[in-house]
Amino acid sequence: MNYMPGTASLIQDIDKKHLVLLRDGRTLIGYLRSIDQFANLVLHQTVERIHVGKKYGDIPRGIFVVRGENVVLLGEIDLEKESDTPLQQVSIEEILEEQRVEQQAKQASEKLKVQALKERGLSVPRADTLDEY
Amino acid sequence: QSLEDCPLDEDEDAFQALGEEDEDIDQFNDDTFGAGAVDDDWQEAHERLAELEDKAGSSREPDGPVGNDGDVLGDPEDALAERLTRLVIDSELEDPAIMQAVHTRDPPQQPGGLNSSIWDSSAVLRRIRGPLLAQEMPSVSVLDYALPQRPPQARDEERDPSERALPRRSSSPIIGSPPVRAVPIGTPPKQAAIPNFNQQILCPKPVHIRATMQQRYPAPYGERMSPNQLCNVPNSSLLGHPFPHSVSPVLTHLQRAQLLGGAQVKLLPAGRMSPSQFARVSGLVGSPLPSVNPKLLQGRVGQMMSPAGGFRAFFGAPPAPPPSQLPHPPGPGSHLQNLRSVPSLSQHPSHSLHPSLTIPALPRPQPQMFRPDTTHLHPQHRRLLHQRQQQNRNQHRSLNGSGGDRGGHRSNHQEQIRKDPYANLMLQREKDWVSKIQMMQLQSTDPYLDDYYYQNYFQKLEKLAAAEEVHGDGPKKERTKLITPQVAKLEHTYKPVQFEGSLGKLTVSSVNNPRKMIDAVVTSRSEDDETREKQVRDKRRQTLVTIEKTYSLLLDVEDYERRYLLSLEGERPALMGERKQKICDIYDNLRGKAPGQDRLSDDHFMQIMCIRKGKRLVARILPFLAPEQAADVLMATARNLPFLIKKDAQDEVLPCLLRPFSHVLYHLPLGTVTSLVQQLTNLPQSAAAPTNLHLTAVLQNKFGLSLLYLVLSRGEELQSSDTNTELMQDNQWTELMLMATRELLRIPQGALAKPVSIPSNLISLFSRYVDQQKLNLLETKL
Repeated sequence: MNYMPGTASLIQDIDKKHLVLLRDGRTLIGYLRSIDQFANLVLHQTVERIHVGKKYGDIPRGIFVVRGENVVLLGEIDLEKESDTPLQQVSIEEILEEQRVEQQAKQASEKLKVQALKERGLSVPRADTLDEY
Repeated sequence: QSLEDCPLDEDEDAFQALGEEDEDIDQFNDDTFGAGAVDDDWQEAHERLAELEDKAGSSREPDGPVGNDGDVLGDPEDALAERLTRLVIDSELEDPAIMQAVHTRDPPQQPGGLNSSIWDSSAVLRRIRGPLLAQEMPSVSVLDYALPQRPPQARDEERDPSERALPRRSSSPIIGSPPVRAVPIGTPPKQAAIPNFNQQILCPKPVHIRATMQQRYPAPYGERMSPNQLCNVPNSSLLGHPFPHSVSPVLTHLQRAQLLGGAQVKLLPAGRMSPSQFARVSGLVGSPLPSVNPKLLQGRVGQMMSPAGGFRAFFGAPPAPPPSQLPHPPGPGSHLQNLRSVPSLSQHPSHSLHPSLTIPALPRPQPQMFRPDTTHLHPQHRRLLHQRQQQNRNQHRSLNGSGGDRGGHRSNHQEQIRKDPYANLMLQREKDWVSKIQMMQLQSTDPYLDDYYYQNYFQKLEKLAAAEEVHGDGPKKERTKLITPQVAKLEHTYKPVQFEGSLGKLTVSSVNNPRKMIDAVVTSRSEDDETREKQVRDKRRQTLVTIEKTYSLLLDVEDYERRYLLSLEGERPALMGERKQKICDIYDNLRGKAPGQDRLSDDHFMQIMCIRKGKRLVARILPFLAPEQAADVLMATARNLPFLIKKDAQDEVLPCLLRPFSHVLYHLPLGTVTSLVQQLTNLPQSAAAPTNLHLTAVLQNKFGLSLLYLVLSRGEELQSSDTNTELMQDNQWTELMLMATRELLRIPQGALAKPVSIPSNLISLFSRYVDQQKLNLLETKL
């Protein structure tokens, strides 16, 4: 049955596997079990997937209840194509390590940039209030 | 107490008055505290309970297999439960079924460590008995308030997550309760909330405010029905007032049936009742939209969007029942009939029955359902899920578009239950609830105003679909249309509130009655002070304002067609008159309103044409203008084309005028065309001017050249079609053509712009005036 044709409604997406991108940059993959009018989501058998370069790692998280306002986007995962990815899955420890290394590198380069700008008398506004992703 | 003790023996008026006052106060007490507060011996009941508590506390023993850390709720709960059961048993309930439920309280513990005592706790039972108690034994109902504090963890654990935590009322206070909102805020109610709007009572009975019936049944975990099935049994506490008494005996039976722990056999009559109940309930769910137009059914009945239950019952009912339903509810039979007739309308007759139909008579043991969630997917589960998805997809592919869901859905449903045991955690009712909210957000009094782009988009789609239909007789792709509820526009005139007998007026400012904060006064500047720049700027601003005003008029005029279709016969002449007037106004705005003088200057028009928006405005206006007026505009454009071209160098918007211009050209007589060419080419020229700058500019510009070609083509058309002698006598045209061709020949090819389109009859046009050699030359140039 077609709920509200011509509109974007999550009702048709229930009980399907989804990938949800949150405002803080996390990527969650889980079965969408329940929604409400604010697009708050209940994800079942959720996995947080961390991507670093060509590798990714999955951390099982269980049940997630996500407040609607924190969702950037979400989309249904085609189960057939799911395994069709050039990315390589690695263990959790490894991916966390990779992530840490990446973060460090990023911070180092950021620091250099800020330093360089400071030397030239420019300043970059702090991105505290902006969403990281 | 003090009130009751107040002596009313004396017959003095004062005391009598006091007595009456007391009665009023008693009434208020009832309202505030409930019927049991003042009259009943709640104190005694409370003491009794306290005694039991002490006894239980002293004789406490740890529950066997339950771990200490996990089972905070175990002991005090059990003790309380015991007390309650004793109390309950002591009173009138003698139904053996209930007795059984009480005794079968102790389930074997689950292996795997899950503490199932939350399900078995008699706190559940206690609450299950709630409404029964509320209705039959007010004294016991107060126990809920008088109960000692439960540990908060227990509360969290045993609460069904989707339950709303509103306190239960034992009886209905008439006044003083918050009115029930049309849309329940927050999570959907456990049972569909049926606010009965047309009832005159300010506060509806509490039955629908809080779900007192619990969905859990004390049963061993393994044998329990899956969440889907449990939740599908609707609550009988939804009875309410609108239902005639004939229904209630059956429902009390239901209540009792629901109290049975694992005895699901008795739920079958509940199951059978439920479709009607469900539908009846949801029929009333539909009532919050009293102004929803039954016209929604028109035209699209077959494809009607009909989510199960809720909407269907409402849409399906003929227009008469909803308003008349509530004051005099039809008997349950007739209502059922109503609903049974609905399936003929909707495409999914059994869909709403689905949830109820899936109530099995026997529970299904599903040991693999429960396992700790440490892996993403149990491999077996994953396999099953994958299979199901594939099947779903196959189903989808076999039927087109949205139809896929419908066909495959039913047959898949059973498999779904088997393969994805967590499916349908969100009930159909809850889905409908969310849809209902979303639909309510789409309510609008004037969709063309509120949602212009969506309406237009869909109109375009429909036109396309209709066009396709006409051409090809292929399978008609069903495009279900979203029917948004349309609310009639109500005219509200706001009157600021006034109190009688008060001195002066209220100085309350609200959104409807705003207070003037700033006194903005328009001051016009004197001419002397301004500099040249300012003058130019002001003039430009004036032009911009004119453009905006004209645009509003234009939008109105464009809208008249639609309004015409929607309006009544009598109103139409008035509409036409308005439209004409507006068009006149538009033209005046365009050419510079100067009713007294002749329109000698193109200045105003030029100003508008210098602005990008102005050009687009003119392009849109042209179809509405009368032919003479349109020709006038065309002439003005042609006359000043070089100037416009220069100004348009950055924007390059002129080509947008080509199409409306060509439309105008089709209606022009030759004379006009001739003068047009004259204007365009600025011929004949005086011999003194060596180069025709005007024409050069025109030829070197895309728009100019295209326009020239169009005009020439039109001329040729006229000439070839109309062999009237008048044409032959028209020397002017011939002369012009000769000159034009001469110029064209003279100009090097590189300088010519690339026109938008080259009309085909140009060659034949030129062939009249030049010889073959030159013709070939011209051809290469084009």
